[in-house]
Amino acid sequence: MELFKRNKVVTAVLAVLACIGVGAWIYQLMGGLAVTGMSNGVSWGAYITMFMFFVGLSAGGLIVASSASIFHITAFKRVAMPAVILSTVCICLAGMFVLIDLGGIQRVWRIVTGPNPASPLVWDICVITCYLVINVLYLYFMRKGAKRAVAMVSRFALPCAILVHSVTAWIFGLQIAKEGWFTAIMAPIFVASAMDSGLALLLIVLVALNASGRFKTPKELIASLAGLLATCIAVDGYFIFCEVLTMAYPGAAGAETLALMTAGPTAPFFWFEVVGGLLIPFCVLVFAKNRAKTGLVVGASVLVVAGVLCKRVWLLFTSFIGQNVAGAPGVMSADGWTMAGAYAPTLVEIAIIVGVVSVGALGFMALASKLLVPAAEEEAVPAVASRASAPELEFDLQVA
Amino acid sequence: MTKLGIAIDLERCVGCHTCANACKMQNNVPTGMLWNRVLTEGCECIDGAVGTYPNLTRTFLPLACQHCENPACLRACPTGATYKDDMGRVEIDYDKCIGCRMCMAACPYNARSFNWEEPVRDVDFNYGDAAVPARAKGVAEKCTLCKERTDRGEEPMCVKCCPTQARIFGDLDDPNSEVSRVVVNRGAHVLLEEQGTRPQVYYFD
Repeated sequence: MELFKRNKVVTAVLAVLACIGVGAWIYQLMGGLAVTGMSNGVSWGAYITMFMFFVGLSAGGLIVASSASIFHITAFKRVAMPAVILSTVCICLAGMFVLIDLGGIQRVWRIVTGPNPASPLVWDICVITCYLVINVLYLYFMRKGAKRAVAMVSRFALPCAILVHSVTAWIFGLQIAKEGWFTAIMAPIFVASAMDSGLALLLIVLVALNASGRFKTPKELIASLAGLLATCIAVDGYFIFCEVLTMAYPGAAGAETLALMTAGPTAPFFWFEVVGGLLIPFCVLVFAKNRAKTGLVVGASVLVVAGVLCKRVWLLFTSFIGQNVAGAPGVMSADGWTMAGAYAPTLVEIAIIVGVVSVGALGFMALASKLLVPAAEEEAVPAVASRASAPELEFDLQVA
Repeated sequence: MTKLGIAIDLERCVGCHTCANACKMQNNVPTGMLWNRVLTEGCECIDGAVGTYPNLTRTFLPLACQHCENPACLRACPTGATYKDDMGRVEIDYDKCIGCRMCMAACPYNARSFNWEEPVRDVDFNYGDAAVPARAKGVAEKCTLCKERTDRGEEPMCVKCCPTQARIFGDLDDPNSEVSRVVVNRGAHVLLEEQGTRPQVYYFD
């Protein structure tokens, strides 16, 4: 556990935060979800936001690693190990957030004994489980150096990664009740924002590993990944534009939801995402000379990750603002007069979220210490890529 | 097949909230929760009015679970805790509910409430029909169409207690039942028809 030894202070802080998180979770189990800011009016909150966020963050790693194998992008293979470790940790955190959000976790086995095949939540649990298994297999085969097995797993990994984001999107996108969610573009948007936030997090982690000296990523590779990130940001922005235009154009119900999104309570999150999460990082990363500056790449990546977090917030909460039938029984609260829901995360929720993220960070450090081959040794291993099959498709992203 | 439903005469509804209270009493509904609520249409508050004095109008809209023929909540429920029974009612098996709140996100009518904590009752004891099962912390609940009463062949408590007899209960699959005739003859409508949920609660005036 070399990374723990070298970063004693960080490890200690993370461990304390994780313990506080566990304590807060026990408190929540005792008091029920009433200790959160959620209510009948806004029945999903920060946990589901974080669930969406971490499913997305998990994408970058596995997609980079598996495309390296499938499309024979030799350069990306170098970072496959940290990428898949990151992906594994993030998907575990996402799963933890779903479980924490359940009101009756003691009955969760009911999903196994009597699943309703029509429920997107059941699909999600199946796909996330598959995804986790694939991640673990990927790590195992990479560690063993079984190149053929890695190539095999990656062929399943890529479609599974696309599916895991789509299914998460369908939890929301298939609900006709919520104007802001019910759209076919939800799944593509989730895949796109998973790609950009996941890649951005991978870049941040690679630079951090560079600094720790545990794992070296060549500067050109960082620049090349940053180019891919710019493309993903553009695709994400394009999908959001398509959705916003379709909402606005008829001037009907969609336009009302859009008005809430752009000028209502969730507007700061929407505009931060559009400007800070898409526009600025794209304008920075679109120039090759900016991509060569690690500082700029990290800055842009941080903005992208923050932007996607904001997107999760506006995507989830905008649809809880109004009801189809104002004042319905399901928005009642203790005083009996409530006509609409309100939400702000409580300290318990924040403590649990910080705790879960700390557990994730510790998990990443542990796996990285165990699985990452120190930079010096890596050089010795000859980069014999699977050149035997198919003509080489070398993606040169620096040309862009 | 039986398809139980209710038709509500909005012309007769005087907004007395008796149905809401009768329901709460019968079903042991905890504090801060109503399975049935009487809304005032077009208002930002309960018992408000629309317009400027002296030109005011007020229309009441009693709202509870619509017992849809095509229930969005049922499809979303991961464990099958929400089910459509052979009497055409949408019911919840509380033992199967894991508290994920998919159904609450899926219901276009926001008919469902959640037990965010151990249910509190102002009187400090359980009340209502002894046959109504108690709900624990962490499960969703809503109007059951008074399952326990209708199983015994009685009408739901909101129907029984309505002082103006604005509510008509019966089998929508029986063309000769009073509720079926009212739906046809009085041109009854459903709420949010465009959502395609095909409610079994009708409104007419």
